[in-house]
This record gives sequence, C-alpha cells and structure tokens, in this order.
Amino acid sequence: MNSNTSFESNKFESFKKGDEAAFTYFYDKYFRRITSFNVQFIYDQQEAENLTQEAFINLWQNRENIESINGIQSFLYTYAKSKCLNIIRHNKVKDKFKNDLLNHTERELNIEVLNSIQFDTLELTELERIINESINDLPPKTREVFIKKRFENKKNAEIAEEMQVSLKAVEAHMTKALKILRTKLSDYLFLIFILIYNN
Amino acid sequence: MKSEIIYKYLSNEASEQEILTLFEWIEASEENKKQFITIKKTWVLTALSEDISVNSTPVIKIKPKNKAAKYLQYAAVILVLLGLGKIAFNFNYKTKHSKEIVLELGNGQTEYITKNNHSNLLNNKGEVIAKKLHGQIVYFGKVKDNEVLYNSLKIPYGKTFKVILSDGTVISLNSGTTLRYPEQFGVNGKRTVYLTGEAFFEVAKDKEHPFIVNANEVDIEVLGTKFNVNAYPETSIVNSVLVEGSIRIYETASPSNSALLKPNQMATWQNGSNKITTKSVDPSFYSAWTKDELTFKDTPFSTITKIIQRTYDVEIINKNSDLAKQTFTGTIKISESSVKNILELLKRDTPFDYTIKENTITITNLP
Repeated sequence: MNSNTSFESNKFESFKKGDEAAFTYFYDKYFRRITSFNVQFIYDQQEAENLTQEAFINLWQNRENIESINGIQSFLYTYAKSKCLNIIRHNKVKDKFKNDLLNHTERELNIEVLNSIQFDTLELTELERIINESINDLPPKTREVFIKKRFENKKNAEIAEEMQVSLKAVEAHMTKALKILRTKLSDYLFLIFILIYNN
Repeated sequence: MKSEIIYKYLSNEASEQEILTLFEWIEASEENKKQFITIKKTWVLTALSEDISVNSTPVIKIKPKNKAAKYLQYAAVILVLLGLGKIAFNFNYKTKHSKEIVLELGNGQTEYITKNNHSNLLNNKGEVIAKKLHGQIVYFGKVKDNEVLYNSLKIPYGKTFKVILSDGTVISLNSGTTLRYPEQFGVNGKRTVYLTGEAFFEVAKDKEHPFIVNANEVDIEVLGTKFNVNAYPETSIVNSVLVEGSIRIYETASPSNSALLKPNQMATWQNGSNKITTKSVDPSFYSAWTKDELTFKDTPFSTITKIIQRTYDVEIINKNSDLAKQTFTGTIKISESSVKNILELLKRDTPFDYTIKENTITITNLP
C-alpha cells in the first residue's frame, strides 16, 4: 500500500538496473499474493506456484520496460491473468468434480471472472486501498473471522474453536463480510469503469 | 442463503450437490451470474491485501489520509446536513409511496428505484447516461452547457442511497434527503447541486469547474481537498465541517456574507440572523452516519429521537418529561441495532417505559 516510500523507490531503481537483491525484495513481497490469485482459478498449489515463478522470470526479463513500482504488480497480475485464461481455455485445469457439467460450468465462469478484472497500475493501488479500508470497516467480529479465513487460511472449525463461537456463526460472519465487501467493491469497480469510459 | 453457498464454494467447503444447486442458480439469470462474478472477483482480489491484522482496531473516525488515501480524483469530501425548513423541490407523491427511493428525470418523468432493477438510464435522446445498480446510480458523460438537465433523487426515511455524478463525484445520501443534480455536467461553468437533508460528498477535483452545494439559503463552494459540511434540520441551521483543504460558505443572496474554513473548523449558518460563525470541532463526529454509525455527544434526547425517526423510519412520541431534558453520549452501529435495542440502552441510563405499535413508539414515565 505505501509503495511509494523512498525505500521502495530505491529498490525499484536498483531492480531496473539489474540488482538481484532488489528483485528478491519484490519477489518476496508479491509471490504469495500472485500464487493465491492463481490458485483461485487453476486449483493446484504446485501449478500455481510454477506460474508465479514464470511471471517473475518474465518480469526480470522485461524489467527495463516497467515504468513504476506499481507497474511491477500490474505486470505480474496481467501475466498471471493471461496464463490462467490460457490454461483454462486449453482444458488443462484438473477436473474437480465427477459431474462433467460442473467442470464445464466452472471453467466458463472463471473465464468470465478473469476477463472482468483489469490490472492497470492505478486500479491496483486504489483497489488495495479500498480493500484495506473496507476490511477495516467490517464489524469487529466479522472482520476477525474474515481475516482468519482469508489471510490465515484457517478452516471454519478452527475459527469457531478459536473464537468460541458456533460453526454456523462463523459461516454467517463470512456471508456478511462478503456482502459488505461486494457492495463496497462494486462501487469502486464501477468508478474505474467510468474513468475508462470518459477517457 | 445463496451467498452462504457461494462462500462455501469459494472456500472449497461445498458439496458437489450444493455446487450443482449454485450453478443452476447462476445460470438461471444474467443478474445472478453478474452477482456471482462480482463476489468471486471480490474473493480473488482480497488476496491482494496485506498489512492487515486482527489486532489493529477498526477505524471509525475520518483518518488523516496523507499517504494512505490518495483520493485520486476526489479532491473534496463534504458532508452536508441540511435544514428541512425550505423544501426546495416538490415531489407530488402521496406519503403511501414514500417508502421507495424516487428518481425524477430531466423531462419530468419519475420512477421508483427498487432493489433489483439494475438497468440503464436514458436521456431524452435515448442515449445511455447512467447505470442503476444495487443501492446506487452511476452517471457519466458531458453535455453542451445549454443542454444541462437536472435530475432529482428523493430518499425516504429508513433508506440510504449513493449517486455518482458524471464528473466522478460520489454523494452518499442519508434518509429523508432530496438531491437535485445535473444528469450530465456542462463543458463550462460551475457544477451546482441542490440539497435538502443530509449528504456526504466526495467531490471530483476540477479547478476549472467549481463545485457548489446549494443548501437552504447558503452556497458551499469547494475550493479544494477534503471537508465536511453539516447542519441541523430542526433549527434551520447549516453547519459545515472541514476535514482538509478549504471551503467557502456564503449566503446565496449576498455572497459577500461568507466564511472561509480551515481544517477541523465548523461554520454555522443561522436562518433569520443570517450570520455565519465558526468554531473548532472533531470532523469525524459529523460523518459517522456514512460509516453506519450514529454518534451522540451530550446530544439532547429530542435530537436523538429525530435522528432515530429518520434512520429507522419510525415515529417517536415522547411523553416523558425527564427524558426530554436528558442528554446522551455514545455510538450506535446502525445496521446492527434496532430501535428497540437503542431504547433499551437509553433505559439503562434513565428509566422509562415505552410501547411499540406498528411504527409508532410512545415513551412514557414509569408507572
């Protein structure tokens, strides 16, 4: 979020000049995030990590064309998005369900979701801000459940036990969190839409 | 119910049978599909966020946003709470219909905005000028100055709404509010909107086209960056609170009668005396409603009842003389509370009795 600190600016300059330590800094910063994005579409942790690796290799090769710090994220996500799309389109995603109709429907939906996301740099920075703020604004309990689930990858049962609430309550909090986030984010996504439309 | 399955699906905890039901639901309509796509998008993009931990306390106040919030196109954030004394625009609706949000178009046509009618809004020429979405309308585009047409939105008690104007300005509208605004702004000139009630403005930065909120007998001109404006309906007062940057508030009929605000200051306009005075305040207090909160600080019970009436669309009759003199301090989460919760809370401080009959609450002395 505070990507424009002078510390990062220095790292970015070094990165552009081919400094591997600087590259490692950005690698550590974004690796997990890009991977978790990929997992949502290709459902294979190993494959998702490979893909992220690939994205970073491409980033390194194209470092001279990256114009700003935010351009790094934007590059990585754009790469991941097009790779995920390719993998889905070429039927390389492992079948999750016994019922083939479900596999097919899921693929179609994922293609639509991917196509609906744009990763220009402005959008990412602003998006991050909005997401952070929206999460901070969730009611405290809901927020705690959401964070445990989403960022600490805990199972519902674990969360229920940690927080001393019922499984149903955990589910209800997640539902609520998503509802709130959905309204907040759609606002924003539509603003982006308008900006693009007007220019 | 659906979102519970969606969430289970996204976290890989749904059964194949549940997924089958979910997919059938998604395929059933474009609407459903769109909803699902937005949710999944939210889900995958939340993986973007970092620096969030359970321990940091949720922020209710308006934060100093120097580095965090690059408000980008939003140069100014204003909150306007206005006197109901002068109803600027007459909607000829019977009170029966007042439960819906009403949109009046430039050509005089009116329509109700209900929850699920996502659709496009066309102008006289049949061009798309806005999208109606869940809980909001988004406008876009520009017109020649002589073609500027005004739309109006009227928000009933118990509801809130959001409108995004064609310049990108975002306006949150509180219960019992009417806003009149150009469906598309002109190429030249000022951006003027008219408000009765309460609203929170995030004004798109555009030095060439000053943004003006006309309220009661004053104009509030956005000069830059962020600020709140607010006023109390019951006293024909307009209060404006500045968060950051600057605003100028002046009497519409006599613009030289004006005040320039510094951050954390509030300007007060009083009908009748026609005086504008200023003092220092905490701005977050005045915009709490946009964060789903009601905040009271030594607030008289009479004021609290008025706010509750608007927020929850109820009528409160107070026959308890002790209570009328009381003031209260505290914060209430709007969506998590009911009128009953709030009354029970107040009762702990000052005992009273009350009855609820449909939407009317009568408060009496203890028997």
